[in-house]
Amino acid sequence: MSSRTTFEQLALPHLDAAHNLAYWLVRSRPDAEDIVQDAFVRAFRSFATFRGGDIKPWLLTIVRNVAYRWLAGRKRANNVVSIEEAFAPRDGDSVGEAWIASEEPSPEALLIGAQERARVLTALAGLAPAFREVLVLRELEELSYNEIADVIGAPVGTVMSRLSRARGELRTRLGALIEKEEKDAM
Amino acid sequence: MQCDEAQALISASIDGEVPDVGAGELRQHMAACAACAGVQADFRRLSQQLKSAGREILPARMETRVRQALAQAAAEHRPALIRGKPWVRQLAAMAAVCLIAVFGTWSVTRYMESESRIEQDVLSAHVRSLLQDSPIQVASGDPHSVKPWFNGRVEFAPEVKDPAAEGFPLVGARLDYIGGRRVAALVYKRRLHTVNVFVWPSASPGDAAPRLIPVNTYNLLTWRHNGLTYWAVSDLNGAELQQLQALL
Repeated sequence: MSSRTTFEQLALPHLDAAHNLAYWLVRSRPDAEDIVQDAFVRAFRSFATFRGGDIKPWLLTIVRNVAYRWLAGRKRANNVVSIEEAFAPRDGDSVGEAWIASEEPSPEALLIGAQERARVLTALAGLAPAFREVLVLRELEELSYNEIADVIGAPVGTVMSRLSRARGELRTRLGALIEKEEKDAM
Repeated sequence: MQCDEAQALISASIDGEVPDVGAGELRQHMAACAACAGVQADFRRLSQQLKSAGREILPARMETRVRQALAQAAAEHRPALIRGKPWVRQLAAMAAVCLIAVFGTWSVTRYMESESRIEQDVLSAHVRSLLQDSPIQVASGDPHSVKPWFNGRVEFAPEVKDPAAEGFPLVGARLDYIGGRRVAALVYKRRLHTVNVFVWPSASPGDAAPRLIPVNTYNLLTWRHNGLTYWAVSDLNGAELQQLQALL
Protein backbone atom coordinates (compact mmCIF):
# COMPACT_ATOMS: atom_id res chain seq x y z
CA MET A 1 0.00 0.00 0.00
CA SER A 2 1.49 3.29 -1.05
CA SER A 3 1.93 6.15 1.38
CA ARG A 4 -0.56 8.13 -0.65
CA THR A 5 -3.27 5.50 -0.16
CA THR A 6 -2.58 5.46 3.58
CA PHE A 7 -2.65 9.22 3.73
CA GLU A 8 -5.88 9.43 1.77
CA GLN A 9 -7.56 6.84 3.97
CA LEU A 10 -6.60 8.72 7.11
CA ALA A 11 -6.96 12.30 5.94
CA LEU A 12 -9.83 12.45 3.46
CA PRO A 13 -12.52 11.72 6.10
CA HIS A 14 -11.49 15.07 7.64
CA LEU A 15 -11.88 17.05 4.42
CA ASP A 16 -15.14 18.43 5.75
CA ALA A 17 -13.53 19.64 8.99
CA ALA A 18 -10.54 21.12 7.14
CA HIS A 19 -12.78 22.99 4.74
CA ASN A 20 -14.96 24.28 7.57
CA LEU A 21 -11.98 25.63 9.52
CA ALA A 22 -10.45 27.21 6.41
CA TYR A 23 -13.76 28.78 5.51
CA TRP A 24 -14.24 30.26 8.97
CA LEU A 25 -10.72 31.62 9.05
CA VAL A 26 -10.71 33.34 5.67
CA ARG A 27 -14.48 33.58 5.10
CA SER A 28 -14.24 33.15 1.37
CA ARG A 29 -15.39 29.95 -0.32
CA PRO A 30 -12.99 29.96 -3.29
CA ASP A 31 -10.03 30.74 -1.03
CA ALA A 32 -11.06 28.11 1.50
CA GLU A 33 -10.98 25.52 -1.30
CA ASP A 34 -7.51 26.60 -2.40
CA ILE A 35 -6.28 26.54 1.19
CA VAL A 36 -7.64 23.04 1.78
CA GLN A 37 -5.98 21.72 -1.36
CA ASP A 38 -2.69 23.37 -0.46
CA ALA A 39 -2.89 22.13 3.14
CA PHE A 40 -3.57 18.53 2.08
CA VAL A 41 -0.64 18.55 -0.33
CA ARG A 42 1.60 19.99 2.40
CA ALA A 43 0.32 17.47 4.91
CA PHE A 44 1.00 14.64 2.45
CA ARG A 45 4.55 15.87 1.85
CA SER A 46 5.26 16.02 5.58
CA PHE A 47 3.27 12.86 6.35
CA ALA A 48 6.51 11.31 7.60
CA THR A 49 6.49 13.74 10.53
CA PHE A 50 3.02 12.62 11.65
CA ARG A 51 3.59 10.64 14.82
CA GLY A 52 0.40 8.60 14.78
CA GLY A 53 -2.65 9.03 16.98
CA ASP A 54 -5.60 11.11 15.82
CA ILE A 55 -4.74 12.74 12.52
CA LYS A 56 -7.45 15.39 12.77
CA PRO A 57 -5.68 17.91 15.07
CA TRP A 58 -2.44 17.48 13.09
CA LEU A 59 -4.27 18.10 9.82
CA LEU A 60 -6.18 21.09 11.20
CA THR A 61 -2.91 22.61 12.44
CA ILE A 62 -1.61 22.59 8.87
CA VAL A 63 -4.88 23.99 7.52
CA ARG A 64 -4.71 26.77 10.07
CA ASN A 65 -1.08 27.62 9.22
CA VAL A 66 -1.84 27.78 5.51
CA ALA A 67 -4.92 29.93 6.17
CA TYR A 68 -2.99 32.36 8.36
CA ARG A 69 -0.20 32.63 5.81
CA TRP A 70 -2.89 33.36 3.25
CA LEU A 71 -4.48 35.99 5.51
CA ALA A 72 -1.08 37.64 6.08
CA GLY A 73 -0.52 37.69 2.34
CA ARG A 74 -3.89 39.26 1.77
CA LYS A 75 -3.15 41.91 4.36
CA ARG A 76 0.25 42.59 2.84
CA ALA A 77 -1.13 42.86 -0.68
CA ASN A 78 -4.03 44.92 0.64
CA ASN A 79 -6.05 42.68 -1.55
CA VAL A 80 -9.76 43.28 -1.36
CA VAL A 81 -11.79 40.13 -1.77
CA SER A 82 -14.82 40.59 -3.93
CA ILE A 83 -17.83 40.19 -1.73
CA GLU A 84 -19.89 38.80 -4.60
CA GLU A 85 -17.32 36.13 -5.23
CA ALA A 86 -16.88 35.32 -1.58
CA PHE A 87 -20.55 34.94 -0.82
CA ALA A 88 -21.96 33.78 -4.14
CA PRO A 89 -24.09 30.67 -3.71
CA ARG A 90 -22.17 27.61 -4.90
CA ASP A 91 -23.24 24.19 -6.13
CA GLY A 92 -24.87 22.27 -3.37
CA ASP A 93 -25.65 25.38 -1.36
CA SER A 94 -29.20 26.13 -0.51
CA VAL A 95 -30.11 29.78 -0.31
CA GLY A 96 -30.15 29.44 3.44
CA GLU A 97 -26.38 28.84 3.39
CA ALA A 98 -25.79 32.44 2.45
CA TRP A 99 -25.76 33.44 6.07
CA ILE A 100 -25.21 37.13 5.59
CA ALA A 101 -28.33 38.98 6.52
CA SER A 102 -30.04 39.90 3.28
CA GLU A 103 -32.58 42.66 2.95
CA GLU A 104 -35.40 40.22 2.53
CA PRO A 105 -35.38 36.88 4.27
CA SER A 106 -35.30 34.00 1.81
CA PRO A 107 -38.13 31.45 1.97
CA GLU A 108 -35.82 29.04 3.78
CA ALA A 109 -34.89 31.68 6.29
CA LEU A 110 -38.52 31.94 7.22
CA LEU A 111 -38.53 28.35 8.34
CA ILE A 112 -38.33 28.03 12.07
CA GLY A 113 -34.70 27.78 13.11
CA ALA A 114 -33.16 29.02 9.88
CA GLN A 115 -33.27 32.62 11.00
CA GLU A 116 -31.74 31.72 14.32
CA ARG A 117 -28.98 29.84 12.50
CA ALA A 118 -28.29 32.74 10.17
CA ARG A 119 -28.13 35.03 13.20
CA VAL A 120 -25.64 32.95 15.15
CA LEU A 121 -23.41 32.51 12.09
CA THR A 122 -23.49 36.24 11.40
CA ALA A 123 -22.41 36.88 14.98
CA LEU A 124 -19.64 34.28 14.64
CA ALA A 125 -18.45 35.86 11.40
CA GLY A 126 -18.09 39.18 13.20
CA LEU A 127 -15.61 37.85 15.75
CA ALA A 128 -11.84 38.20 15.51
CA PRO A 129 -10.16 35.18 13.84
CA ALA A 130 -8.55 34.12 17.14
CA PHE A 131 -12.02 33.86 18.74
CA ARG A 132 -13.63 32.39 15.66
CA GLU A 133 -11.13 29.57 15.42
CA VAL A 134 -11.45 28.37 19.02
CA LEU A 135 -15.24 28.38 18.73
CA VAL A 136 -15.14 26.49 15.42
CA LEU A 137 -12.66 23.96 16.78
CA ARG A 138 -14.67 23.45 19.95
CA GLU A 139 -18.30 23.60 18.82
CA LEU A 140 -18.15 22.41 15.23
CA GLU A 141 -15.14 20.09 15.36
CA GLU A 142 -15.65 19.06 19.00
CA LEU A 143 -11.95 18.99 19.80
CA SER A 144 -10.84 18.78 23.43
CA TYR A 145 -9.02 21.70 25.05
CA ASN A 146 -5.77 19.77 24.71
CA GLU A 147 -6.29 19.20 21.01
CA ILE A 148 -7.24 22.85 20.45
CA ALA A 149 -4.07 23.86 22.31
CA ASP A 150 -2.06 21.70 19.87
CA VAL A 151 -3.76 23.16 16.82
CA ILE A 152 -3.38 26.82 17.77
CA GLY A 153 -0.01 26.32 19.43
CA ALA A 154 -1.00 27.82 22.79
CA PRO A 155 -1.23 26.51 26.37
CA VAL A 156 -4.48 24.92 27.54
CA GLY A 157 -5.02 27.86 29.92
CA THR A 158 -5.07 30.21 26.93
CA VAL A 159 -7.58 27.99 25.16
CA MET A 160 -9.82 28.12 28.22
CA SER A 161 -9.71 31.90 28.62
CA ARG A 162 -9.96 32.56 24.90
CA LEU A 163 -13.05 30.36 24.58
CA SER A 164 -14.56 32.12 27.56
CA ARG A 165 -13.98 35.55 26.03
CA ALA A 166 -15.13 34.35 22.61
CA ARG A 167 -18.42 33.15 24.09
CA GLY A 168 -18.88 36.38 25.98
CA GLU A 169 -18.30 38.34 22.79
CA LEU A 170 -20.62 36.10 20.77
CA ARG A 171 -23.33 36.52 23.40
CA THR A 172 -23.02 40.32 23.23
CA ARG A 173 -23.11 40.37 19.42
CA LEU A 174 -26.07 38.04 19.26
CA GLY A 175 -27.92 40.22 21.74
CA ALA A 176 -27.20 43.29 19.61
CA LEU A 177 -28.41 41.49 16.47
CA ILE A 178 -31.69 40.48 18.10
CA GLU A 179 -32.19 44.02 19.36
CA LYS A 180 -31.57 45.41 15.87
CA GLU A 181 -34.03 42.92 14.31
CA GLU A 182 -36.68 43.91 16.80
CA LYS A 183 -36.10 47.58 16.12
CA ASP A 184 -36.30 46.96 12.36
CA ALA A 185 -39.52 45.02 12.78
CA MET A 186 -41.21 47.87 14.58
CA MET B 1 -16.02 31.79 45.07
CA GLN B 2 -16.57 35.28 43.65
CA CYS B 3 -18.44 36.06 40.42
CA ASP B 4 -15.26 36.99 38.46
CA GLU B 5 -13.62 33.71 39.42
CA ALA B 6 -16.78 31.85 38.45
CA GLN B 7 -17.07 33.71 35.10
CA ALA B 8 -13.64 32.42 34.09
CA LEU B 9 -14.85 28.85 34.58
CA ILE B 10 -18.39 28.99 33.20
CA SER B 11 -17.24 28.49 29.62
CA ALA B 12 -15.06 25.55 30.62
CA SER B 13 -17.92 24.06 32.66
CA ILE B 14 -20.15 23.60 29.64
CA ASP B 15 -17.27 21.89 27.82
CA GLY B 16 -16.66 19.60 30.80
CA GLU B 17 -13.13 20.98 31.05
CA VAL B 18 -13.19 22.58 34.52
CA PRO B 19 -10.09 21.63 36.50
CA ASP B 20 -11.03 19.28 39.36
CA VAL B 21 -10.00 21.79 42.03
CA GLY B 22 -12.63 24.35 40.96
CA ALA B 23 -15.53 22.09 40.09
CA GLY B 24 -17.16 21.83 43.51
CA GLU B 25 -16.87 25.52 44.35
CA LEU B 26 -18.27 26.50 40.94
CA ARG B 27 -21.31 24.27 41.46
CA GLN B 28 -21.98 25.94 44.80
CA HIS B 29 -21.65 29.42 43.30
CA MET B 30 -23.99 28.59 40.44
CA ALA B 31 -26.66 27.40 42.81
CA ALA B 32 -26.47 30.71 44.72
CA CYS B 33 -25.83 33.33 41.96
CA ALA B 34 -28.63 33.97 39.48
CA ALA B 35 -26.48 36.24 37.25
CA CYS B 36 -23.77 33.62 36.77
CA ALA B 37 -26.36 30.92 36.27
CA GLY B 38 -27.88 33.13 33.54
CA VAL B 39 -24.53 33.43 31.77
CA GLN B 40 -24.09 29.69 31.96
CA ALA B 41 -27.52 29.12 30.45
CA ASP B 42 -26.75 31.61 27.65
CA PHE B 43 -23.42 29.95 26.91
CA ARG B 44 -25.07 26.55 26.85
CA ARG B 45 -27.69 27.79 24.39
CA LEU B 46 -25.00 29.42 22.22
CA SER B 47 -23.10 26.18 22.17
CA GLN B 48 -26.23 24.32 21.09
CA GLN B 49 -26.96 26.88 18.38
CA LEU B 50 -23.45 26.70 16.95
CA LYS B 51 -23.45 22.90 17.00
CA SER B 52 -26.77 22.73 15.20
CA ALA B 53 -25.72 25.42 12.73
CA GLY B 54 -23.24 22.86 11.48
CA ARG B 55 -20.25 23.10 9.22
CA GLU B 56 -19.91 25.09 6.08
CA ILE B 57 -21.08 22.80 3.28
CA LEU B 58 -18.25 21.03 1.52
CA PRO B 59 -18.53 21.37 -2.26
CA ALA B 60 -18.87 17.94 -3.86
CA ARG B 61 -15.94 18.54 -6.22
CA MET B 62 -13.50 19.08 -3.31
CA GLU B 63 -12.65 15.43 -2.78
CA THR B 64 -11.79 14.88 -6.45
CA ARG B 65 -9.79 18.08 -6.47
CA VAL B 66 -7.74 17.08 -3.44
CA ARG B 67 -7.22 13.52 -4.73
CA GLN B 68 -5.91 14.91 -8.01
CA ALA B 69 -3.59 17.34 -6.23
CA LEU B 70 -2.25 14.49 -4.08
CA ALA B 71 -1.70 12.24 -7.10
CA GLN B 72 0.22 15.04 -8.75
CA ALA B 73 2.27 15.68 -5.61
CA ALA B 74 3.10 11.98 -5.36
CA ALA B 75 4.17 11.87 -9.02
CA GLU B 76 6.44 14.86 -8.78
CA HIS B 77 10.09 14.09 -8.33
CA ARG B 78 11.46 17.49 -7.82
CA PRO B 79 15.18 18.15 -7.65
CA ALA B 80 16.58 18.25 -4.13
CA LEU B 81 17.50 21.92 -4.36
CA ILE B 82 13.92 23.01 -4.99
CA ARG B 83 12.44 20.53 -2.55
CA GLY B 84 14.74 21.86 0.16
CA LYS B 85 13.78 23.96 3.12
CA PRO B 86 12.24 27.37 2.44
CA TRP B 87 15.45 29.21 3.35
CA VAL B 88 17.42 27.10 0.88
CA ARG B 89 14.97 28.05 -1.83
CA GLN B 90 15.11 31.71 -0.80
CA LEU B 91 18.89 31.62 -0.84
CA ALA B 92 18.86 30.02 -4.28
CA ALA B 93 16.42 32.64 -5.54
CA MET B 94 18.53 35.45 -4.09
CA ALA B 95 21.70 34.04 -5.64
CA ALA B 96 19.93 33.76 -8.98
CA VAL B 97 18.77 37.37 -8.78
CA CYS B 98 22.31 38.52 -7.89
CA LEU B 99 23.78 36.60 -10.85
CA ILE B 100 21.24 38.09 -13.23
CA ALA B 101 21.90 41.60 -11.91
CA VAL B 102 25.68 41.18 -12.16
CA PHE B 103 25.54 39.72 -15.66
CA GLY B 104 23.02 42.38 -16.76
CA THR B 105 25.17 45.23 -15.46
CA TRP B 106 28.28 43.70 -16.94
CA SER B 107 26.80 43.30 -20.42
CA VAL B 108 25.19 46.75 -20.37
CA THR B 109 28.41 48.49 -19.28
CA ARG B 110 30.39 46.43 -21.78
CA TYR B 111 28.03 47.50 -24.54
CA MET B 112 28.15 51.12 -23.41
CA GLU B 113 31.93 50.97 -23.11
CA SER B 114 32.34 49.66 -26.64
CA GLU B 115 29.92 52.30 -27.91
CA SER B 116 31.79 55.16 -26.22
CA ARG B 117 35.15 53.72 -27.29
CA ILE B 118 33.99 53.82 -30.92
CA GLU B 119 32.83 57.40 -30.36
CA GLN B 120 36.25 58.35 -29.04
CA ASP B 121 38.04 56.53 -31.87
CA VAL B 122 35.88 58.18 -34.52
CA LEU B 123 36.46 61.62 -33.06
CA SER B 124 40.23 61.08 -32.66
CA ALA B 125 40.52 59.79 -36.22
CA HIS B 126 38.64 62.83 -37.50
CA VAL B 127 40.78 65.33 -35.56
CA ARG B 128 44.01 63.49 -36.49
CA SER B 129 43.04 63.63 -40.15
CA LEU B 130 42.72 67.41 -39.89
CA LEU B 131 46.09 67.76 -38.10
CA GLN B 132 47.91 66.22 -41.01
CA ASP B 133 48.72 67.93 -44.25
CA SER B 134 45.95 66.10 -46.00
CA PRO B 135 43.10 63.99 -44.66
CA ILE B 136 43.11 61.85 -47.79
CA GLN B 137 45.30 59.18 -49.38
CA VAL B 138 43.49 59.26 -52.66
CA ALA B 139 42.15 62.52 -54.02
CA SER B 140 39.18 62.15 -56.29
CA GLY B 141 35.70 63.45 -56.63
CA ASP B 142 34.77 60.51 -58.80
CA PRO B 143 33.08 57.63 -56.98
CA HIS B 144 34.15 55.26 -59.76
CA SER B 145 37.78 55.79 -58.98
CA VAL B 146 37.41 55.98 -55.18
CA LYS B 147 35.46 52.75 -54.81
CA PRO B 148 38.00 50.55 -56.65
CA TRP B 149 40.79 52.15 -54.61
CA PHE B 150 39.46 50.26 -51.57
CA ASN B 151 39.82 46.89 -53.36
CA GLY B 152 42.36 44.85 -51.45
CA ARG B 153 42.65 47.55 -48.77
CA VAL B 154 39.49 46.63 -46.87
CA GLU B 155 37.52 43.39 -47.05
CA PHE B 156 34.28 45.04 -48.14
CA ALA B 157 33.16 47.41 -50.88
CA PRO B 158 31.88 50.69 -49.42
CA GLU B 159 29.23 52.54 -51.34
CA VAL B 160 30.69 55.80 -52.63
CA LYS B 161 28.60 58.72 -53.89
CA ASP B 162 29.41 62.26 -54.82
CA PRO B 163 26.66 64.65 -53.79
CA ALA B 164 28.58 67.67 -55.12
CA ALA B 165 25.44 69.09 -56.70
CA GLU B 166 23.90 69.33 -53.23
CA GLY B 167 26.96 71.16 -51.84
CA PHE B 168 28.78 68.12 -50.38
CA PRO B 169 31.63 67.46 -52.82
CA LEU B 170 33.56 64.21 -52.38
CA VAL B 171 37.21 65.05 -51.74
CA GLY B 172 38.73 61.62 -51.51
CA ALA B 173 39.29 58.64 -49.26
CA ARG B 174 41.80 57.03 -46.95
CA LEU B 175 42.12 54.10 -44.59
CA ASP B 176 41.76 54.48 -40.86
CA TYR B 177 41.77 52.35 -37.76
CA ILE B 178 38.70 52.35 -35.45
CA GLY B 179 37.58 49.92 -32.77
CA GLY B 180 40.53 47.63 -33.50
CA ARG B 181 39.86 47.24 -37.24
CA ARG B 182 40.76 48.76 -40.55
CA VAL B 183 37.92 50.93 -41.87
CA ALA B 184 37.15 52.98 -44.95
CA ALA B 185 37.11 56.75 -44.51
CA LEU B 186 35.38 58.95 -47.09
CA VAL B 187 36.03 62.66 -46.92
CA TYR B 188 33.48 65.26 -47.96
CA LYS B 189 33.49 69.03 -47.87
CA ARG B 190 30.71 71.40 -46.90
CA ARG B 191 31.89 74.96 -47.53
CA LEU B 192 35.05 75.03 -45.37
CA HIS B 193 34.02 72.14 -43.13
CA THR B 194 35.49 68.69 -43.51
CA VAL B 195 33.30 65.66 -42.98
CA ASN B 196 34.78 62.22 -42.34
CA VAL B 197 32.49 59.29 -43.00
CA PHE B 198 33.81 56.01 -41.58
CA VAL B 199 32.40 52.78 -42.91
CA TRP B 200 32.81 49.19 -41.80
CA PRO B 201 30.76 45.98 -41.78
CA SER B 202 28.17 45.88 -38.97
CA ALA B 203 28.44 43.43 -36.11
CA SER B 204 24.67 43.28 -35.64
CA PRO B 205 22.20 42.66 -38.45
CA GLY B 206 19.51 45.02 -39.71
CA ASP B 207 19.38 48.71 -40.44
CA ALA B 208 19.41 51.43 -37.78
CA ALA B 209 18.08 54.96 -38.07
CA PRO B 210 20.61 57.82 -37.81
CA ARG B 211 21.50 58.88 -34.28
CA LEU B 212 23.16 62.24 -33.61
CA ILE B 213 25.73 62.32 -30.80
CA PRO B 214 27.29 65.69 -29.99
CA VAL B 215 30.78 65.26 -28.47
CA ASN B 216 33.11 68.15 -27.53
CA THR B 217 31.57 70.65 -30.00
CA TYR B 218 31.75 68.02 -32.78
CA ASN B 219 28.74 66.23 -34.16
CA LEU B 220 28.79 62.48 -34.65
CA LEU B 221 26.08 60.79 -36.68
CA THR B 222 25.80 57.03 -36.82
CA TRP B 223 23.54 54.68 -38.73
CA ARG B 224 23.46 51.19 -40.19
CA HIS B 225 22.49 50.38 -43.72
CA ASN B 226 22.83 47.27 -45.90
CA GLY B 227 25.13 45.52 -43.43
CA LEU B 228 27.48 48.49 -43.06
CA THR B 229 27.94 50.76 -40.05
CA TYR B 230 28.45 54.44 -40.83
CA TRP B 231 29.89 57.13 -38.60
CA ALA B 232 29.92 60.65 -39.96
CA VAL B 233 31.86 63.22 -37.94
CA SER B 234 32.38 66.93 -38.43
CA ASP B 235 32.27 70.33 -36.83
CA LEU B 236 29.31 70.92 -39.14
CA ASN B 237 25.91 71.48 -37.52
CA GLY B 238 23.74 68.45 -36.93
CA ALA B 239 21.06 69.38 -39.45
CA GLU B 240 23.50 69.59 -42.38
CA LEU B 241 25.23 66.41 -41.27
CA GLN B 242 21.86 64.67 -41.44
CA GLN B 243 21.33 66.21 -44.87
CA LEU B 244 24.55 64.51 -46.04
CA GLN B 245 23.43 61.23 -44.48
CA ALA B 246 20.25 61.32 -46.57
CA LEU B 247 22.33 61.72 -49.75
CA LEU B 248 24.65 58.76 -49.11
